[in-house]
Amino acid sequence: MTTDPFVLPRYFALAVKNLRRRMVRTVLTVAGVALAVTVAVSLGGFMLGYRGAIDKSIDMLGFQIMIMAKGCPYEAATMMLKGGTGLLYLPADIYDKVRNDTDIESITPIFVGVAAKQGSGIRDDAGEKNFLIISGIEVPSYKVMKPWMQFKKGAGYDGGRWFGDSSRGEVVLGFEAAEYEQRKVGDTFYASITPAGKTEAVMHTFKVVGVLDRTGTQDDGTVFLPIDEARGYFGRMGELTILGIKLKEFNAFKMGAFESRWLKLPEVQVVGLQQVKSTLVGLVATAQTMIAAVAVIAIIVAFIGVINTILMSVYERTSEIGIMKALGARRDSIFQLIWLETVMICLAGAVVGSALAVVGSAVVERAIKSVVNMGVSGSIVLITPAVVGWAVLGAVVLGFFAGLYPAWRAAGMRPVEAIHKGN
Amino acid sequence: MLIEGFGLKRYYQRGSETVKALDGVDIAIDAGEIVAILGPSGSGKTTLINLLSCLDAPTEGTLTVAGKSVAGLSEDELVEVRRGVLGFVFQDFSLLPTLTVTENVELPLLFLGLKAEASRTAAILEAVGLTDRAGHLPRELSGGQMQRVAIARALISGPKILVADEPTGNLDKKTGEAIIALFKKLAREEGLAILLTTHNTVFGEQADRTIVLEDGRVVWES
Ligand SMILES: Nc1ncnc2c1ncn2[C@@H]1O[C@H](COP(=O)(O)OP(=O)(O)OP(=O)(O)O)[C@@H](O)[C@H]1O
Ligand SMILES: [Mg+2]
Repeated sequence: MTTDPFVLPRYFALAVKNLRRRMVRTVLTVAGVALAVTVAVSLGGFMLGYRGAIDKSIDMLGFQIMIMAKGCPYEAATMMLKGGTGLLYLPADIYDKVRNDTDIESITPIFVGVAAKQGSGIRDDAGEKNFLIISGIEVPSYKVMKPWMQFKKGAGYDGGRWFGDSSRGEVVLGFEAAEYEQRKVGDTFYASITPAGKTEAVMHTFKVVGVLDRTGTQDDGTVFLPIDEARGYFGRMGELTILGIKLKEFNAFKMGAFESRWLKLPEVQVVGLQQVKSTLVGLVATAQTMIAAVAVIAIIVAFIGVINTILMSVYERTSEIGIMKALGARRDSIFQLIWLETVMICLAGAVVGSALAVVGSAVVERAIKSVVNMGVSGSIVLITPAVVGWAVLGAVVLGFFAGLYPAWRAAGMRPVEAIHKGN
Repeated sequence: MLIEGFGLKRYYQRGSETVKALDGVDIAIDAGEIVAILGPSGSGKTTLINLLSCLDAPTEGTLTVAGKSVAGLSEDELVEVRRGVLGFVFQDFSLLPTLTVTENVELPLLFLGLKAEASRTAAILEAVGLTDRAGHLPRELSGGQMQRVAIARALISGPKILVADEPTGNLDKKTGEAIIALFKKLAREEGLAILLTTHNTVFGEQADRTIVLEDGRVVWES
């Protein structure tokens, strides 16, 4: 007789047969592990995806520093990302003061205002937001900040362009803004704006001269106007909302120096986007801790469940294990068999759980977004192969530990007693 | 001599009481002979056979199995003595319910790290008369057939000694006789030593030698 170098597959087959003996119990245990893995993978995907979404949203602003009116960084952050309410304005002459700073590579002034939708017609669903975000921009410097911006092509969109310097009544729509309003190049567009200090809204009619391609940022939902025209409609000549700035060299030192140079201006805050990122990350920290707690509990319960199942099956098979020992099985053979069964349960749970997490990530995403709506664009639950890999590895490691005690018990059984006890 | 034991004792502690399950037994078993151990219930048959087959260690006495001194060996060392030398047949057959006849028969090879060879398995199934049941599960077999599977399993690793504690205990008379006949054939054809215990004196008479135990001592030997 020859020795077999590949005994592992044979142990594997034996372990599978043992697990199939009590199918219901095995399935329930696998389900417990799967549940824990689903929670863990979703959490991992959330941490990763949220981080990535924030990074992307902020990197796609195109600038590293914003100068804006004093307020809390959180407000600054949400305003940047959602273009929401509570807008504060700066005197426009700040632009002239700052633009000559020698560390600056590029700078662009942005005027943001909120208008009411008017007569948009067809799409009037109750759930639709009924306000528009208007960005007044200076086209040449804005384009420098966001070189990726492009006009949408195709029937009805061809010939898209920016408005001219002295044009009036021309707008460029972001991808989503155009889609919601069902507007194409050449169409008419309406917005109702209440000038500062007035109570009556004024209706304005525009011609759409360009629709932008999707960028995956808040620009998609924005309506662009020339900055001075927008200021005029909002009754805020000589004001601006944000100065977006890109430095020639971006590092903590340059950033600090820049900040201290311009913080002395009254009513101004200099916000580094790195800082905004950490603020946003901090915002969901509580939610993540909560999910993590659930994950930990699920993992502990699954872990105990696995130990319990394997111990039960070891005790049920006491006499069988004794027989196997009489047939020549060493301690390590028995250990290996029981341990394999445990790891297989955990592995099966990991595979099922990961699959569930991937399939259910859309649901998780919606749930999270409904609880903490940061207006972060893009997917905030990102289940990468690495996340799944870690979960599977984690389950195997847990299986390794869960299997230790039952396998050790089984391996330590004395054949005579085991055979005797089993009968 | 394949097995030689002198002054074998096996005491059990039951509370404060010492049970002398085996109290000084001398025994020798040669290749190719069938030795039957008889005696009333509780006389120490199982205890003796467990000692001789290295499943258990004596409290006192010396024991040599296949040339190796066994006394004082640890559990792990006893496994090494058993492996490939001893084949076991149990009263209740002890087949793994989820494995087919072939898989049950080949199971010991897995633990010995040996390759299963279809021709060898087939030859052994043939020898025990189960060729047509190779793919069946234990529950599809009769008691006599199950015991034949157990015997085939004991033979697969080519042991020198076959140890059987009441191999006919769960079988009717006729089936039991067939199993004993099979043992005799194996001893004759393969030169196997067979050590078995039984309550049935008729089977005892068919053995080459008979040892009768009572209260842990040999009271009669032929
Ligand atoms: N693990 C044990 N602990 C304590 N006492 C034991 C143990 N095993 C056996 N004994 C005792 O040792 C004595 C011999 O038992 P053994 O099983 O060897 O008898 P036996 O001849 O095989 O009986 P039977 O014919 O009923 O199988 C009995 O009195 C039994 O109660
Ligand atoms: Mg007995």
